Amino acid sequence: MSNGNNMLNDSYLLQNLAVLRNHLAESYSLVQIQKDNDGEEMWTEQLGESNVPLFGHKHLPLASPKGFLFAEKEALYKFDGETFETILPQVVPKVLFGVQACDLTAIAYQDKFFEFDPYYQKRREHILLVGIDCESPCSNGFCAQVDAGPHVNSSTADLVLSRLKLEGANQLSEWLLIAETEKGLNSIKALALEKADEEHLRLRNKLLEKVKSEFIDYSYINNAIEYLNNNSIPIKLWEELSVRCLSCSGCTNLCPTCSCYSTYEIVNKKPEKTISNSKVLKTETLRVWDSCLFQGFQREASGHNPAQKAAQRVERFWFHKFSDEFLPEFKRYGCVGCGRCEQTCPGTIGVHSVMKRIDQECCS
Amino acid sequence: MLQLTPQTIRIVDVYDDGTHARHFTFEPKGFVHNKPIGIGQFFMLTLPGVGLAPFTYTSIPDKTGRFNALIRKVGHLTEKLFTLRKGDVLGYNGPFGSGWPVDQVKQKKVLIVAGGCGLAPVATTIDYLINNDHSTSVTLLYGARDIESQVLKNERTRWRSKIKLFETLEIGGGGDKQHSGLPTQHLSSVFKYAQHPDIVLTCGPQAMMIAVANNCMDLGLQSTNIWMSIERRMRCGVGLCGHCYVANSYACKQGPTYRYDEFMALENKTVAFQKHQGLFKYC
Repeated sequence: MSNGNNMLNDSYLLQNLAVLRNHLAESYSLVQIQKDNDGEEMWTEQLGESNVPLFGHKHLPLASPKGFLFAEKEALYKFDGETFETILPQVVPKVLFGVQACDLTAIAYQDKFFEFDPYYQKRREHILLVGIDCESPCSNGFCAQVDAGPHVNSSTADLVLSRLKLEGANQLSEWLLIAETEKGLNSIKALALEKADEEHLRLRNKLLEKVKSEFIDYSYINNAIEYLNNNSIPIKLWEELSVRCLSCSGCTNLCPTCSCYSTYEIVNKKPEKTISNSKVLKTETLRVWDSCLFQGFQREASGHNPAQKAAQRVERFWFHKFSDEFLPEFKRYGCVGCGRCEQTCPGTIGVHSVMKRIDQECCS
Repeated sequence: MLQLTPQTIRIVDVYDDGTHARHFTFEPKGFVHNKPIGIGQFFMLTLPGVGLAPFTYTSIPDKTGRFNALIRKVGHLTEKLFTLRKGDVLGYNGPFGSGWPVDQVKQKKVLIVAGGCGLAPVATTIDYLINNDHSTSVTLLYGARDIESQVLKNERTRWRSKIKLFETLEIGGGGDKQHSGLPTQHLSSVFKYAQHPDIVLTCGPQAMMIAVANNCMDLGLQSTNIWMSIERRMRCGVGLCGHCYVANSYACKQGPTYRYDEFMALENKTVAFQKHQGLFKYC
């Protein structure tokens, strides 16, 4: 893995993005951001001819690429009437091309959470991450506030692309390409690329400062995080906020770090003809994304529900994202500042609404 | 890597043991327990085509790998489980979680307070203490709704001659064997009889455990000497599915056995939970 000292050796210049994309597409199935038939920007696996992808900060899809690693629904194991057998995902090498810093930080977070999950890891080991530095803040994003961007955090991608352009300055090259990992370096070995020098890396840092300075004032988020950790937000505020939670699970589905799941069973009702005893059921156990905001998330069979009230569930969600209690394990907060919860919430429990309210009511 | 896929177990014995409760004996089929099972740990049971849920061991596997579980019919999964018979196969995964602090308990006067099916998770502790010659220092206070709903009849018969055993019944009672009322109503007299225990283990409905803990503290016991085993919904047993959270801990990993003060500290990390549990007194 690269670090700051030897990064220079692994940095290259690239004039044409298509060269890299086409090269990687030879060894990997290409996953990139594209518009679907409804015009929605989506992370899409290219099955036929490759289309020109949407790229960069202007195109942060509403859904992160989380599902390519932690599948929205997947089989865990099957039962044939006698024994259980693991069903690991069938995977082909994939390249996620052009992942923004916030989503890469989230992937690094889930890498840690799912470190020993065989299903996640089977997918993960076959994925090459090509990150891209954002050149401007996006509409709901506050990645800089939570150390998740706007430039790709070190060691969160295999390759990083950064556009080398500064207004009023001569453009040195179109793109800086940094190999952050051994895997990334190997993936571009066959390309004859010009090495970048210190000047290019300095320019990248300069651009980072420029983008950071363009974010509007999100200090209410930091104020609210601090207040949250003082554990003194009145219950009344959680109750008021939770009235607006419809338990739609939009936030948890779209949150790139949310990882809760449930399991369910499917029964093959048509036993194979070769099985003489038709009573033998073949079953599969699957897991599917779940949401801690659902009323039944913690409800036990007895009816006892430790999180019966919506206020508890809303508080739980934000505790999980912003509590210092998780720092020893994850070394960062569970929120990467993508703002998707705000974008999707039909009520007012998205990140900006909640943090603004806390700031207004508790911090002033 | 974690193993989410269960192994096959077979039901080798089953009998009714209390209202809507059954005593199961399971036998491993084609595997041996490769990890020692701690007192108070639990396992995940998979009913193919139905689902999976956590259950406690009421006996540690014997030499053949057989173990018992006392299971009450409370929901969809257990309803299906109760239709199974001797010889039927199921999925087993475990052991999971952290159990009772048996090393600490061994040297002390122990009071165990169990309510309803909460007797099941403490059964292995009682047997452990009896088998290790500590039975004279053990007192069990067991509360149930009525005489029919008392569980682990065979075990209690076995224990009765070895440990001090008090039983309470919400309905009925008042005779020689069972006192009437809730276990908490008899706690102070049991405390005296047990010569003021050094440590209390409790398992039952959460509200009962909290009431027991509060009463014990009123009787002079430190919160650090009170342990509880909590129930939570679970879908994995290994800290992944997220359902069993208690603040930043998972009941399937850091629990299901918690020291009372540590559990309270977790609950107090979120204000909505404090209010729900009525715990402001201890903030």
